[in-house]
Amino acid sequence: MDKDLHSNARRDFVKKMAAASLSAASTSIPLASFLSSCTSDPAITSKADTVILLWMAGGMAHTETFDPKAYVPYSKGVESKRVLSTFPKVPTIVDGLHFSQGLESIGNVMDKGAIIRSYKSADLGHILHTRHQYHWHTCYEPPQSVQAPHLGAWIAKELGPVNPVIPPFIAMGQRFTVGEAEELKAFHSAGFLGSEYGPFLIPDPSSGLDSVRPPQGMSLKRFEARYKLYKELANKSKVMEGGSDYQRESLMRSMEQSYRLLNSPEAKVFDLSQEPKEVYDTYNTGRFGLGCLLAKRLAMNGGRFISVSTEYEPFLGWDTHENGHTRAAKMKELIDRPIAQLIKDLDESGHLDRTLIILASEFSRDAIMEGRPGEPVQDQVDQPDIIEDEKFYGMHRHFTDGSSILMWGGGIKKGLVYGKTADERPCSSIENPVVIDQVHQSIYHALGIHPETNYTIEGRPFYTTPDGQGKPILDLFGEKIVS
Amino acid sequence: MDVNSWEWIFLLLGRFHPLVVHFPIGLLVVALFLEFLTLGGKRQGLREGIHWMVFLGAIFAVLAAVLGWLLHAYDDYEGDLVQFHQNAGIATAVLAMVTGLLLRTTLKGKLATYMYYRIGLFATVTILVVAGHLGANLTHGEDYLTSVLPRNQDSYDNESTKVLLTELKGLDSLSEAQQEELNLGVRAILAHNCYQCHSENKQKGDLVLDNKRGVYQGGKSGPVIVEGRPEESEMFLRISLPPDHDDVMPKKGKVLKDSEIKLIELWIKSGAKWSDGALKIFPEADLALSQPKLPNDSKESHPVDKIMDSYFKEKKLKWPVVVDDRTFIRRAYLDILGLLPEPLKIDHFVGNGDKDKRTKLIDELLGDTHNYTQHWLSFWNDILRNDYSGPGFITGGRKQITDWLYKSLLENKPYDAMVKELINPTEESEGFIKGIEWRGLVNASQRTEMQAAQNIGQSLLGVNVKCASCHNSFVSNLTLEQSYGFASIFADSVMELNRCDMPIGKMAEVNFLYPELGSVEAESVEERLLLLSEVMVKPENGRLYRTITNRFWKRLMGRGIVEPADEMDNKPWNADLLDWLAADFVNSGLDIKQLMKTIMTSKSYQLETTRLENQEELQKGYVFNGPILRRLSAEQFSDAVSQVVAPMYYAAAYDPNNEGLPSNRIWHREIKFDRDVLPEPGKRYFRKSFNLDDKKIRAAKVLISVDHSYALYLNGKKISEGSDWRKVDRLEVADKLAQGKNLLAIEGQNEGAIANPAGILFAMKIQYEDGTELLVTSNDTWKSTDILPEKGWVTVNFDDGSWQEVRNYGAGNWDKLVNFTFEGTEREFARASLVKQHPFMKVMGRPTRENVATTRDEQATLLQALELTNGEYFNNVLKEGAAEWLKKYGDSNEDIVLNLYQKTLGRNPTEKERGIMLGVLQTDAKEEALQDLFWSMFISPEFQFIY
Repeated sequence: MDKDLHSNARRDFVKKMAAASLSAASTSIPLASFLSSCTSDPAITSKADTVILLWMAGGMAHTETFDPKAYVPYSKGVESKRVLSTFPKVPTIVDGLHFSQGLESIGNVMDKGAIIRSYKSADLGHILHTRHQYHWHTCYEPPQSVQAPHLGAWIAKELGPVNPVIPPFIAMGQRFTVGEAEELKAFHSAGFLGSEYGPFLIPDPSSGLDSVRPPQGMSLKRFEARYKLYKELANKSKVMEGGSDYQRESLMRSMEQSYRLLNSPEAKVFDLSQEPKEVYDTYNTGRFGLGCLLAKRLAMNGGRFISVSTEYEPFLGWDTHENGHTRAAKMKELIDRPIAQLIKDLDESGHLDRTLIILASEFSRDAIMEGRPGEPVQDQVDQPDIIEDEKFYGMHRHFTDGSSILMWGGGIKKGLVYGKTADERPCSSIENPVVIDQVHQSIYHALGIHPETNYTIEGRPFYTTPDGQGKPILDLFGEKIVS
Repeated sequence: MDVNSWEWIFLLLGRFHPLVVHFPIGLLVVALFLEFLTLGGKRQGLREGIHWMVFLGAIFAVLAAVLGWLLHAYDDYEGDLVQFHQNAGIATAVLAMVTGLLLRTTLKGKLATYMYYRIGLFATVTILVVAGHLGANLTHGEDYLTSVLPRNQDSYDNESTKVLLTELKGLDSLSEAQQEELNLGVRAILAHNCYQCHSENKQKGDLVLDNKRGVYQGGKSGPVIVEGRPEESEMFLRISLPPDHDDVMPKKGKVLKDSEIKLIELWIKSGAKWSDGALKIFPEADLALSQPKLPNDSKESHPVDKIMDSYFKEKKLKWPVVVDDRTFIRRAYLDILGLLPEPLKIDHFVGNGDKDKRTKLIDELLGDTHNYTQHWLSFWNDILRNDYSGPGFITGGRKQITDWLYKSLLENKPYDAMVKELINPTEESEGFIKGIEWRGLVNASQRTEMQAAQNIGQSLLGVNVKCASCHNSFVSNLTLEQSYGFASIFADSVMELNRCDMPIGKMAEVNFLYPELGSVEAESVEERLLLLSEVMVKPENGRLYRTITNRFWKRLMGRGIVEPADEMDNKPWNADLLDWLAADFVNSGLDIKQLMKTIMTSKSYQLETTRLENQEELQKGYVFNGPILRRLSAEQFSDAVSQVVAPMYYAAAYDPNNEGLPSNRIWHREIKFDRDVLPEPGKRYFRKSFNLDDKKIRAAKVLISVDHSYALYLNGKKISEGSDWRKVDRLEVADKLAQGKNLLAIEGQNEGAIANPAGILFAMKIQYEDGTELLVTSNDTWKSTDILPEKGWVTVNFDDGSWQEVRNYGAGNWDKLVNFTFEGTEREFARASLVKQHPFMKVMGRPTRENVATTRDEQATLLQALELTNGEYFNNVLKEGAAEWLKKYGDSNEDIVLNLYQKTLGRNPTEKERGIMLGVLQTDAKEEALQDLFWSMFISPEFQFIY
């Protein structure tokens, strides 16, 4: 039933899209005039329509989550260098695949997805989280001579919305009033693609509805009357005499589009109160959990790119500079249940097939190593050799040589374990190392976006991944490389 | 022999396809033509013949399709074009058969009319034309037809190849100069057609054609040139293959023009000599200004209009109409001050009979220095990449030049002085060349020295250094070496060249892009900066002055004389106009206001805006026919709303009128996991005690602003409360003070569902009769608690020993309230240009200034429309404004309507408009009705554009 609704909505959508893209085409001439796109390749068939990015902001230690190593329990006087994992490992539903304790629910849905255990972050020198986040989300190392677009903006630009009522790029969970806010803003951006493709920000998922309905306190009747009034006055204005001009027309068209969207009953997708209480409660581990719930509703009703962040705030969330063990336990509580539920719900409703879900973090953490082997960088946390206080028990330094990425749906091979990290320190990627270009291209591959998609800006062709060189990891889709 | 050995037969048959295709084309097209002749029952004698043609045509169409399929299957044809052609061909065959069948059915009498068959025939021929065209594209190249259209000539000049060829073709031997010319001609061809794949950057087939070594060395399959023998040279052989050949170069479907092939042949034949002369593939503008003379045959008095007069004559155009006074005053206000003119001012201006009133108005507005500065600050901030917030500040990797810039504009500093101070900076202006530095490693092309070169290039000289800072440019003649030479001026150590972020073992030599202006070599960075700053502003560097002149023209007229304004090597639509203006600017002492005045006093500026049907009219082949319609900038829009309705912004990031009061806010210190975090929602309690001397008090004033709400107590008595931090509450408290110990207490509340910024901003000034003062402000000497204290906590005697020291939350989240001052009492708003980047302005097109931003996107977008329609921020301003208007105008709907029109559009409403608005105001919910009127006005095109 739900599935039918979905495809109906999509058909309906195609009609609306056609109208929307027609008008978009005519409103975006200036961009088009200096940008020339490499159009999407008909040879690539898409496997997914929607992407959900579950962003573990702040550096999630792989050894404490999805790639556990030897467990060394806390005891006063334990040597830091002995501590590889501070949790015991637990089995998952996939034979031979173990996660760290506290992630049992996610472990139980791993038969529907894959894990990459060999992601290598870029070597950007002295660590700044937001630089690595910028790099993860745009595939370009900051700074750049032009503003690089966010992954979601590329997708919004190339594919547009699935449902015209739902903005094609939605970013949830991150506020911009925290430390490093300006750096966060720098990549939550469509860059040179133009603000049209920028993120629709929903810092607090429980108030998402406010952004897609008439202004608060305005009745539908008044909303309609207000629009009519504007149209009438605008049409009577003396500037309407003497012919048309494209600037005025595109302005009036954009107002009409916005009016239609806000006047649409489909906005209730954003309303979490439509969910049954027990569903709401299952997801509600906090803002992140509710973000997963809203992501589910959006994915089922025509979202395109949706990110849900555990939120980056310096020294909070996954950014554990001390008390690593207890804080990791809390973070796992925050994510385990809602993520597993999201996968299950999308699977049961049949949406998982066309929805690609990715869980990732900018880099990992380690108790000893800052940066990566061979490229040590300035330590940011003092870690004693001998741990006398439990607050030093955990992964407090930034590690860039190995971390985990989880993926579900959208053609991703089920039960796959890809790549491997060393079991002894340094726990680096030692098999099939994966870099960000491959991750982005794998996402584009699933969506059917050509790997060499690019636009020319200031005389320079700017590709989705640097120089258009990135390649998707076909193994993730169980595909063979065709030469 | 296996089955494969029969392939040759299919291949042979396939190759008959190009022959056979012409039969159906001929037969069916003629059949359709004859069919037309028979319409209306005429010329029935043709019928029999037509029928034969249709049947035969259908048979040949099928045959052609089959042969075509064989050709595709057994010969090496691939690609989208082939696929499209095949599909169209099959469709033709099928349609032709259907048409044949329809005809037969009709002839047998089973169909009453020829109509179905005729439709079929028409469809067949239509699709046949498509298939035929695609097939021709395959054989002759996709641009076979279009390349001869006048507009589609390649951007570079093929004429020069032809001229060169004619000049050299018949000669027996070539002089050295001719050899050089020939080589440069050939290299220009290579640059435009081959570098894309065969350059140091790409090296397809290991072949590099952008330097001498590569050309002679050849590629994977050996040398490409045999000197003197084109017929043995791989290069010549490959470029002269048929366009549909697999091995043809540059690539299948895109081949060189005949003259180009011949020139390359000639070059190889005459020994393939290499010239060491620099190759200027792309056109370059002359460095010096041409100092054009003004035409003396014009009746116009203004120099700009004299030039435009000849321009219009040459284009056979009439002068467009000059705008009326109302339109002019609005345009002039918005262009010089970025503000709307007051209704009274407009009336005076319109009623004034002075012939020179427009010039006088321009002078008057240019004299309003603060408002002029606060408007044009945005223009310069964009160009000079200066902002109040953004990446880089957090680690000290970036510096503002706001103070310097504000003062420079305020005093109308000559442009050469500005440029000198930007390049050879003082501490105040060093932020420009300092660039933006993020913590950690960066790409070689983004080192701050390279950023300096890129930004000076783009902003001040209109030349793209960015491309050439990674590899030799594809869009200009700039080389990697030149960029590194330029960047080295700013480097305190020798820079190694990096190509695409890989070191190439070559060290840069200090050099400026235009060495003819003078040397910039010196030992230290400081000396080099001094030299560069002097070289840059030389009058010989016409490029510097042309670039800024063009930017001002663009800003005031909607389109540059050269476009894009960052590529000053492009051809201007009127070179004399640009160079005259630039030269006049230099001669007038580089006075920026004078430049604006020169443009704005011209009739050309005062013309009605051109109506453009589409954006393309601004691109190729642009003809000036009056200023272009411009959209209000994010700042102009915001300031206009502030002027008319209620302040959009109360706080500025930069406050030129700062009185020296602190802007830092305090709140209870909140800790999570041993870290300071944002305050949770809820109530917090604050206390501050202070002692008063035994002196007579003349006055005691308090300023307070609290995010989110507060109640203030002085010595146990509640004296004020408020819930809007943007508004400063002002109190007189002299009569509530006591000698000795006094106590201030605040109950503050943070709203919201999640942790968010909260803070108290407080200042109390006590003036004694003897002229001395006491200032109490919000600082870390206050105490606070998050636990509801016992009664009496607002009094002096309460023991706050268990309370803790407050935390200073800084000003970052709130900035400087412009009304937080003891002096001014009138309500003011913060000019949008002084406000930190804000989501509303961002969506309205204010750029994030992480990179130089020289053009703003004026295009209306959906996100923008959404923000204007349901954005909480904007709607709240309208609400606030509606309440105030009703207070001011009460029940007089007539006054409301009249004022609204005059203030926003600078005119009276028409009878119709008046009627509509009065109708809307006839309601009980008048405040809401007024909000909706405001909204309708601000959204309207008449308001949002500068006409």
